[in-house]
Amino acid sequence: MTSPALETDYMETIDGLVSHFQDNLPVFETFLKQLRSVVEHATLQPYIHSIKTRIKDPNHLRNKLVRKMVVALEGGPPFDYTSENLFRQINDLVGVRLLHLYTRQMGDIHRILTDLLDEHRFTVIEASARTWDLESKAYFKSIGIETRDSDSLYTSVHYIVDPTARTPRTAEIQVRTLAEEIWGEVDHTINYPRKSESHSCREQLMALARVTSGCSRLVDSIFATHIDSLRAASEALTVVSADGPATARPR
Amino acid sequence: MESANLPLRATAVRLALFNHKGGVGKTTLTMNVARAMAKLGKRVLVVDSDPQCNLTSLLVEDEVVNDLLDTSDAPEGQTIWSALKPIVEATGDVRYIPPIELPHGMFLLPGDIRLAEFEQELGTMWGECFQRRTRGFRGTTALSTVVNQVVWKYGIDYVFYDSGPNIGALNRTILLDCDFFAIPAACDLFSVRAIKTLGHTLANWIRDWDTIAELAPKDIYLLPGQPHLLGYIPQRYKMYGGKPSMQFAPFIPLIEKTVRSDVIAVLTRVNPLLVAEAVSPLRLGGVKDFGSLATASQREGVAISEVSTGTQEQRDIAEDTFEDLAKRIIDRTSGAVMR
Repeated sequence: MTSPALETDYMETIDGLVSHFQDNLPVFETFLKQLRSVVEHATLQPYIHSIKTRIKDPNHLRNKLVRKMVVALEGGPPFDYTSENLFRQINDLVGVRLLHLYTRQMGDIHRILTDLLDEHRFTVIEASARTWDLESKAYFKSIGIETRDSDSLYTSVHYIVDPTARTPRTAEIQVRTLAEEIWGEVDHTINYPRKSESHSCREQLMALARVTSGCSRLVDSIFATHIDSLRAASEALTVVSADGPATARPR
Repeated sequence: MESANLPLRATAVRLALFNHKGGVGKTTLTMNVARAMAKLGKRVLVVDSDPQCNLTSLLVEDEVVNDLLDTSDAPEGQTIWSALKPIVEATGDVRYIPPIELPHGMFLLPGDIRLAEFEQELGTMWGECFQRRTRGFRGTTALSTVVNQVVWKYGIDYVFYDSGPNIGALNRTILLDCDFFAIPAACDLFSVRAIKTLGHTLANWIRDWDTIAELAPKDIYLLPGQPHLLGYIPQRYKMYGGKPSMQFAPFIPLIEKTVRSDVIAVLTRVNPLLVAEAVSPLRLGGVKDFGSLATASQREGVAISEVSTGTQEQRDIAEDTFEDLAKRIIDRTSGAVMR
């Protein structure tokens, strides 16, 4: 299924928008470097497994705009992209993804990341978690992140940031666990840019979401246990050294 | 267009007679054109932004220069370094220093050999601008801020930066602070060659600054970063029978051709407005070799038209030369105050 042929006028509009983006690539590259230097800050490193960054491929932007145009022509939401608002309307022209191990790290990550962004004078215009799990929903709320339901079972925390510069421009920072990344990557490969027509694949993806969600939850539990045991060990050590000769027993 | 709470830039017209080839007579030209402009009734500030301090030595007695340089690092220092030092040492914002008042409504911000230290920091600060660091913006705009203060306090109409012959970090911030620039060129092959790198270097500076400015926090003071070309000024050619002599004459069309192909064409690709004032004639005037009068001007610290040697006719020619240049520059830049 290729995208339906659009009339020349519509294609010219889209081409104009794409070339406007291409003309501005040096600015987006610098924007990305600036964001990288924020997320690579030492205070965040203990929580982060890895960082992925990318600037949107102009061809992917073109496809996205074509899809939006088709939807608009079919009576859906109007196509309201212009060269004045393109960089604000499309949030993921610059994308940064932070991967971490387990969901309960998110409280610290959220606090440190928003502080860093603030210090670097980026405005967070939106911070929200896509989730379908009731327990996660309650957790995100408790750390001050609003949640959105996710019918596709996609889960991730999204930040939309704006440098508050002379041209409005946004970037997206995604934060998710390694297990969520597995689901996200499998889903992306199978369903993007064209949705898989296989019913079984869809079914299996729904099941995979339960597995990866359970996996994140299990890692939460493992680390909770691990931290407890470290704490117990360190208390034992304190007791030993307070009682007599400071001889910690070798393990 | 821009939001109203932007930090203010003083509205004097800022320009540089810039060519990174040394020995094209930049300092002599700057001093003489500035003086001619002052005589036409404009309030003119000349900024000695060359660590070599040639302009300051030209306009101020040796003893005073020595004294200025001896004390410039102290809290009561009175040179451009004294103004910028708090930025380099990260102890605060630029310090106001009053300019030296010269005859005819002309003012001088005295240079300093220590500007070289500021220039070293500017290299790092440029990178910090790319990272959106406040220190980078503050350092890169420091010289512009120093000039703002003098312009406001003294009601200056025109600012001339006299810069050293290189394409270093200091000249980058100077050119990006200028509203206009003109290219002085000697009539030789090296000078023509230099014009080629000049155009491309400027284009890169402007593009880079544009990227920085696009992403800079909205409320921060920035350089305008759009130096418009006014034209070129051939320099130091000998005359024969009322025209440039055979030895020099062929270089003038060559200079013009190079300015068109390697400055105008290159800047047009960045932004056509950068060459909007570079109309015909591209040649703003010409400064012939004034020989012993030029030497005397340097020795006596006065304009070529005011030296104690030479004939009255020679001095009148000098007077007319620089007055014509000053008038043409005023004419081409007159729309600028409104921008």
